[in-house]
Amino acid sequence: MRFLGFLLRRVVGIAAVMIGVSVITFAISHVIPADPVAAALGDHATDAQIAQFRAEYRLDRPLPEQYISYATGILHGDLGKSIRTRRSVADDLADSFPATLELSFAALLISIVLGVPAGVWSAVSRGRIPDYVVRVLSLAGGSLPVFWLGLIVIGLFYYQLGWFPGGGRLDTFVSPPPTRTGLYVLDSILAGDVEALRSSLVHLVLPALTLGYFSTAVIARMTRSSMLDVLGQDYMRTARAKGLREPVIVLRHALRNALIPTITIVGLTFGSLLSGAVLTETIFSWPGLGRYATASAVSLDFPAVLGVTLLAAVVYPVANLVVDVAYYWLDPRIQRG
Amino acid sequence: MSYRRSSILFVIALLVAAACSQPPPSAGSPTPQATGGAASTLVWYADTSDLISLDPAVAYEFTGVLLAHNAYETLVKFDGADLSTIKPALAQSWDIKDSGTQWDITFKLRSGAKFASGNAITADDVVYSFQRVLKLNKSPAFLFTDIAQIKDTSIKASDPSTVVISLPKTASPQGFLAVLTFTIGSVVDSKDVKTKETGGDSGSGYLLDHSSGSGAFVIDHWTKNSEVQLKANPNYTGSPKPALGGVLVKHVPESTNQQFALEKGDADIARNLGAQQITALQGKPGVVTTTGNSLQLVYVGMNVTVKPLDNVNVREALRTAIDYDGIVKDLFKGGAKKVQGIVPAGLAGYNETTPFQADVNKAKSLLQQAGQTAITLELLVPTGPAPGGVAWADLAAKLQSDWKNIGVTVNIKQTTQADLLGTYRAQKGQLVMILWGPDFPDPDANVGPFTDYAAKSIAFRNGWDDKTIAAKGRDAALITDAAKRSTAYKDITDYVLHNGPYVVLYQPTEPFGLRSNVKGFVWSPMDWTDFAAISK
Amino acid sequence: MAKRAPILREPLNVLALALITAFAVCAVLAPFLAPYDPLAQTLSSRLEPPSAAHWLGTDSLGRDIASRILYGARISLIVGVVVVALAGVFGTFVGLVAGYAGGLADEALMRFTEVFLAFPPLILAMAIAGALGPSLTNAIIAIAAVTWAVYARLARGQLLSLRRREYVEAARSIGASPTRILARHLLPNAIAPLLVQASFDMGAAIIAAAGLSFIGFGAQPPTPEWGVMISEGRNFISTQPWLSLFPGLAILFAVGAFNVLGDGLRDLFDPRLRRAG
Repeated sequence: MRFLGFLLRRVVGIAAVMIGVSVITFAISHVIPADPVAAALGDHATDAQIAQFRAEYRLDRPLPEQYISYATGILHGDLGKSIRTRRSVADDLADSFPATLELSFAALLISIVLGVPAGVWSAVSRGRIPDYVVRVLSLAGGSLPVFWLGLIVIGLFYYQLGWFPGGGRLDTFVSPPPTRTGLYVLDSILAGDVEALRSSLVHLVLPALTLGYFSTAVIARMTRSSMLDVLGQDYMRTARAKGLREPVIVLRHALRNALIPTITIVGLTFGSLLSGAVLTETIFSWPGLGRYATASAVSLDFPAVLGVTLLAAVVYPVANLVVDVAYYWLDPRIQRG
Repeated sequence: MSYRRSSILFVIALLVAAACSQPPPSAGSPTPQATGGAASTLVWYADTSDLISLDPAVAYEFTGVLLAHNAYETLVKFDGADLSTIKPALAQSWDIKDSGTQWDITFKLRSGAKFASGNAITADDVVYSFQRVLKLNKSPAFLFTDIAQIKDTSIKASDPSTVVISLPKTASPQGFLAVLTFTIGSVVDSKDVKTKETGGDSGSGYLLDHSSGSGAFVIDHWTKNSEVQLKANPNYTGSPKPALGGVLVKHVPESTNQQFALEKGDADIARNLGAQQITALQGKPGVVTTTGNSLQLVYVGMNVTVKPLDNVNVREALRTAIDYDGIVKDLFKGGAKKVQGIVPAGLAGYNETTPFQADVNKAKSLLQQAGQTAITLELLVPTGPAPGGVAWADLAAKLQSDWKNIGVTVNIKQTTQADLLGTYRAQKGQLVMILWGPDFPDPDANVGPFTDYAAKSIAFRNGWDDKTIAAKGRDAALITDAAKRSTAYKDITDYVLHNGPYVVLYQPTEPFGLRSNVKGFVWSPMDWTDFAAISK
Repeated sequence: MAKRAPILREPLNVLALALITAFAVCAVLAPFLAPYDPLAQTLSSRLEPPSAAHWLGTDSLGRDIASRILYGARISLIVGVVVVALAGVFGTFVGLVAGYAGGLADEALMRFTEVFLAFPPLILAMAIAGALGPSLTNAIIAIAAVTWAVYARLARGQLLSLRRREYVEAARSIGASPTRILARHLLPNAIAPLLVQASFDMGAAIIAAAGLSFIGFGAQPPTPEWGVMISEGRNFISTQPWLSLFPGLAILFAVGAFNVLGDGLRDLFDPRLRRAG
């Protein structure tokens, strides 16, 4: 019962935040001094065509009315029509979201797989060289611009060394697997398409590494710091006194407890990955949400910008909610709301 | 246990993603077949973010026009890049008759012409195609409604292979023929499209990402934001027959990525290379570079309602101060043509005179004559790259420094193109740097907008209301004798050169990178190419 | 307050402080240190590799990269300071008011803050910068708009935890006014995590501004902002990589220094803070 109460409160909270997000984004989009219609129709549009376009997009109605019709539309799953692509925003988002999701998952996976061991190693060899190496690399990860890293990675690994492709999700002549989730790796596994699997994995490497560097750094630092705390705790001394060997101590006792704050971070980093995706996707020609957002913002396509913002703003709280639900389920001791 | 938590989280998230996945949008993504081998498919890398629709009645942006041009045929066409003569295409002959109150143009259709579906091409298809343009009234429709001034009733099929189109006397038949070479004049398969109409959209929803025409290629699929695939049309009844099996147009907006892909052989043709990349590609194995002409002009508009731009000497001084040769040679590395008139090279009426080249003393004395010595103006500049591949900002910086030499202070204000157009259209700019491309390959497509205030186009945006020159422009449009027309346009362009509110900077050439095994590539100034002529 | 010495014992911290000082010096003294005018184009010496005449080479318009990086330091410093000042002051104010007022005002203000925390930062910044027009000023406004919310939450949290402390009870019992309590007792202690956040945000703001400039929403060419320079150099990666390399390194060192400073401040103020992460 308490669980349902907790869940309900969180969902209501998310809904309230969504309303706030939509109002603010709507306000921002309509503060524009410039006219998105001129951009969409181009230089040669006649006044009549512009008027027709504005009526079609309800741009000639008063602002509050526009917002209300937009909000009611959302409840039916209608996010409006993009001024730039002339398609429904919902369709545009459905097309581009899976690509970003796949990239973010890959980046997250890489950051956990690389970051956790790095953090552990760094903590265990505190004060010695490996510790400094990891700390410097983590520092760099948090300090360099992702788009710069992307340029260097492409220049080096694609152009100079030719080890990996320089953009896109698949090789030129490989067809995407039948769409089930939109995540090519998953879909190729489900369809048993080896060629598509290989191609999509290979194309994921560079952008995921680039996007994931920042979160790898964060996770490494987090793991290191909580490992250090745990290693100094009383129960660790008890374990050592019992005569257990060091690696056993580290793996069985310390890591388990040190990872708790790390899990919390995972939800947070997922949200930051979305921001990083904007720039990474531009550089790697990755047809995802980030590239869509950039193109929409440039053309003042506010229905699209609204759509992207709403979607992105809902991902982070939902991801956190999923993590918390999982916690709640798995560990009855953590009954935090 | 913590690993378990994190892996459970991961799986939950994946399941959420799978559950949230929407069924694929119905239009445009049937499972694409693997293309028929790399050897016979041309891979074309370009920034296709302007692609909205492949429907020829709707497409007005570069990418849409390029693709529609290859999927459909028009009544008349130009041969490759030669815009001097109109040639027969679907119409094997035509006849212009002055019937007193109107022009009647009779087109006889080519016998044996067929659509990709196998249906024969009849006059009814032509009527349907043109009428749907008027009905949909999208961006390119003004070419029919305003330039040609035709209505639904103007288009008639007098027999299954003859179409008669009537124009009012105020419209130019030559201009209309030029309009018909554009994708707006594409003939669609009415039998096929009529079955695909929904909700009165004239089949526009279907034609957005499918083709139903008679061109050398058909649209196989369009994966949004990713690629468009064309396949050779086995039922093509025109000529030359395509040598390629297909064309794959991939969306790669970063020009660096295009360059890399070209060098590695992943791309056969790269569309959006900048001047620097062209230089970088020289001498690289397996790669060649080439250029195509364009009909665009890059110019600065001077708003004559803003003092002191109302003084013709001031305008002339600003024109005289610019280092045009430096721009072409240093900024564009020769990838641009020095043109100073309002009609670009390649069209009849092109005026070769280029009297202006940086003359600081002359410019200063002109300013003194006008009694203006300390002028400050604002230059509105778009963001991003200008045609020819140089950043707008760099071009603006050069102009700023040239004008500084004659004592004119120019403040650069960069805005998005959308913003700039808005301000410009409202006559609120002072100096505005922008490009212009003619809507159809006829000198009137430039002269009209540049001279006629009433056309609410370029002259209007710069507040230039010169009734005499406007009348001259309108008259010249209707002259049928080629030699007389040419003289009339020389007269007009000479006048505008020294009196108008324009500083025409250059006519860009479009650079392309190609794999050296690609043959037959010719870029038309209409901003397309015939894929059918290419082989590799 | 903790002693200064421990923070300086860590060599990384010393390096960071040195870098930040160098950064500030470059920024302030750019006009004197720069060998060339950052906007001066010499089309005859374009794209030259690093040499004696041009220590970091020249770019596509023949401008000296080293000079542009120095002036870029100035721009980045301004961006960082202004963003953190705007966001920090506004956010702290909101947080303090919410924490002190309690009740409905607290709820309302915190919901408002949560909305801004939910936005993915770069996307909101793009929307704002796109709406207002591409310029450095608008980029600063946009970045400040996505940064302030954290301060509100921090300030409120600090306020709530501290107000229960004994000395507040003591001060109140002797009749000190609410303002006095705020200013003399609560504020100085509440500031610690805010300062730490500010240090990290200096770096984050610089990166965000560079990112916005890179996609065309922030500073515009020919401004010698580091993000603009990377963007201008991106077409030359294969042949003249130094165009993008050096501004990127500049960002790396400047932001890295602020991140180390943030870590150091965190350790300095409260060793217990480090464990809580």
